[in-house]
Amino acid sequence: MSERSGKWYFTDLPTMDYQTGWDLQKHLLNLKKEDKNFPDVVLFLEHWPVFTLGRRGGMQNLKVSQRLVRQSGIEIIPVERGGDITYHGPGQLVGYPVINLPGNGLKVVDYVGRLEETMIRTVSGWGIIAARNDLNRGIWVENRKLGSIGIAVKRGVSFHGFALNVDVSLKPYEWINPCGLKDASMTSMARETGGPVLLSQVRIAMRRQMSRIFKINWQSITLCQLNRLMETV
Amino acid sequence: MKDIHELDIPEDLRFAKQHEWVRLEKDCVRVGISDYAQNQLGDVVYVELPQVGQSFHREEPFGSIEAVKAVSELYMPVGGEIIEINSALEASPELVNQSPYEKGWLILVRPADDSQTALLMTRKEYIDMLKGLDH
Repeated sequence: MSERSGKWYFTDLPTMDYQTGWDLQKHLLNLKKEDKNFPDVVLFLEHWPVFTLGRRGGMQNLKVSQRLVRQSGIEIIPVERGGDITYHGPGQLVGYPVINLPGNGLKVVDYVGRLEETMIRTVSGWGIIAARNDLNRGIWVENRKLGSIGIAVKRGVSFHGFALNVDVSLKPYEWINPCGLKDASMTSMARETGGPVLLSQVRIAMRRQMSRIFKINWQSITLCQLNRLMETV
Repeated sequence: MKDIHELDIPEDLRFAKQHEWVRLEKDCVRVGISDYAQNQLGDVVYVELPQVGQSFHREEPFGSIEAVKAVSELYMPVGGEIIEINSALEASPELVNQSPYEKGWLILVRPADDSQTALLMTRKEYIDMLKGLDH
């Protein structure tokens, strides 16, 4: 059992395609699986438009043809996380904590609950009252979904994470039943407040709430430093 | 969530580090996940199991369990061939939560060699490990 350091590395990343972010996570996951002392790392980023399917699939919740989606330049990628089909795009804050759960004294249900709590407290700073729904995880404003969660756990290390709609286009969600839910609609912080919301501000707030809720301190590192860290192992 | 003293950890089973349990049955072993594991995962909505006839090494992933938007990998407590899977879990994955040691079993394995079960933990050793996690 490794010592709990209470310190997580944090890297703020720009908008990138899904595959690049996924490769980065898997690289970190493999290093952590091999070396218990490799640090816990949280990545914040945005993705270029993409639909992803969960471990159980979700293609049946795509309401238009795959050809139409691909013709519009959006890829559909099956991934290993929990949950159903979802959309990622610019204006949505995506967080990938690649962390050892038992090493941080976290149980899986706990962890999902704390990610929800982090998002709920963050959006409350913009006057948005969001809540949990025990049947459909994520965070909700009435029956409108504002934030989603989908994680995967391998040998105690969790990857994938959360997606919070800041001012993302809600149009692509019309092509799917998000998370496999037929009656749910999607919303964003911008839509709920009726005004512009800066993603850079949400990144800061989310980071602050996360350190409170998980009782950790951040050590910020750049992508270059992160790459160097991954190479030296 | 349950405290350690509220968990059901049967005396007649052996346990692996990733919370799988093993029950010795004649020339094969039955495998599932412990009460601790099902409790910390939350409501199970899907169980992905291997095909009968497949073989895996000890600690190799053989399937996965999905609960609360989290997919967790399952690992072989001993190496060997899958001789039966619990097909009831396809329609009723919640059996893993409701009856982790009986109706919610996962796979039946013919071990590649007998010595591997000796590497598993006893009830007492497993509870000691859980106490270490619950800090």
